[in-house]
Amino acid sequence: MIPKLNPHGEALLEQYREQLPLLEQLSETVYNQLRQVFHEQAVELSAIECRVKTESSLAGKLERKGDKYASLEDITDLVGLRIITFYTDDVDKVAAIVQQLYEIDWSNSVDKRKLHELTSFGYNSLHYICRLKGGKMPFEIQMRTALQHVWSAIEHDIGYKGAVKLPPEYRRQFSRLAGMLELADDEFSRLRTTMTDYRRQVQALVKSGKLDEVLLSTDSFRSYLELRPFQRLNQRIAAVNQAEIFPASLLPFLSVLESFGLETLGDVQRFIDENSDNAYQLSLSQLAVTDLDILSESIGLQNLCLAYVLKNGGGVGGLKNIYDLLYGEHDKNEMLAEMMYEQASQLPFVKK
Amino acid sequence: MKTTILEKDGELVAVFEGRLDTAASVETEQALKPLYDCTGHNIVFDCTKLEYISSSGLRLFLSVLKNAKPKGSHVYITGINDDLRTVFAMTGFTNLFEFK
Repeated sequence: MIPKLNPHGEALLEQYREQLPLLEQLSETVYNQLRQVFHEQAVELSAIECRVKTESSLAGKLERKGDKYASLEDITDLVGLRIITFYTDDVDKVAAIVQQLYEIDWSNSVDKRKLHELTSFGYNSLHYICRLKGGKMPFEIQMRTALQHVWSAIEHDIGYKGAVKLPPEYRRQFSRLAGMLELADDEFSRLRTTMTDYRRQVQALVKSGKLDEVLLSTDSFRSYLELRPFQRLNQRIAAVNQAEIFPASLLPFLSVLESFGLETLGDVQRFIDENSDNAYQLSLSQLAVTDLDILSESIGLQNLCLAYVLKNGGGVGGLKNIYDLLYGEHDKNEMLAEMMYEQASQLPFVKK
Repeated sequence: MKTTILEKDGELVAVFEGRLDTAASVETEQALKPLYDCTGHNIVFDCTKLEYISSSGLRLFLSVLKNAKPKGSHVYITGINDDLRTVFAMTGFTNLFEFK
């Protein structure tokens, strides 16, 4: 419901109605610019939100403090955008990008993160009042982390800042939670830095060939795959039918390698060296009798795993276990394992 | 070889009947054209009545997958018989598709 306003407030509201299409256009323009630039700069965000203030919300604001605004341009949040980052470090990075893109009205911009008393906790975001370069109409950009966003939403829902003053014990509970979230935000940032350092170390060790020093994990396996360790075997298998190799992700095989007890990349390298000939024999026995000339890039690793199980007497159960790990448990996996075992059973390396 | 495209429960279903060999692949490629226009629909290859698939057939399946994946669509294979399942396993294609 629109409240009754004084003539000045009514005039501003009328201006708002006239300018609404332009405000919506401004909101969309800034939203698209931000999306594009963050994509180009590879800044990963939780979300970007935009909105144009509704007529009823503006009317409420004009009713409360309409005399404060001489013109519509004095109302700085008619168009509002919110950029929600995953990490605290990224709030500053996002802010730096926003400063490059737009003219910032520093007198009206607030870093609420710095407003807290040293002895108290609080949790808020960075607000910039911006204009397009050479533009007249202001818009507000709020920048905060996902945890800050959650905090603000809960704070709003509970009515912490409402008219009723909360008793000290509840305020203290709020402060403790705010402190905990602030700490969690910092720890997530720290963890990201640590993980980035770890990945760099792993990449360096992989490049230098010190594979026994690198524990098998998603990150280390990904780095190892950059060395294309299965390429030679794949090419050997492809040569059977002059086949084309189609790219595929090999990461799902990590769980299979772990199930074999491989602990380091050195173990994986030895696993390849020791089983490649058998994997090739297995592929040869299957493909030579067909004219199949397209293969997935996973063929070499897949057959290494199958050959390893067959060589170590794992039988149908062992093969089924591989399929269960790769495709999830399914009745058909047993049938597939039986067929594969039957096809391979005459190969000399198969332990019965 | 007969290929029919249906829309069922918001998914595009390609129903194959017969042998998808090199000779049938040109005709089948034409029949699969509507799947390339999918916008976010999931695609199901109903292979219940598919008796055989050659490398040309696998390439057609891959081509649809390559087109659909960047749009966020999933490509499922359903109803494949034991022989076809072996072909998918021997070529490593089981790791590329999702099976229902």
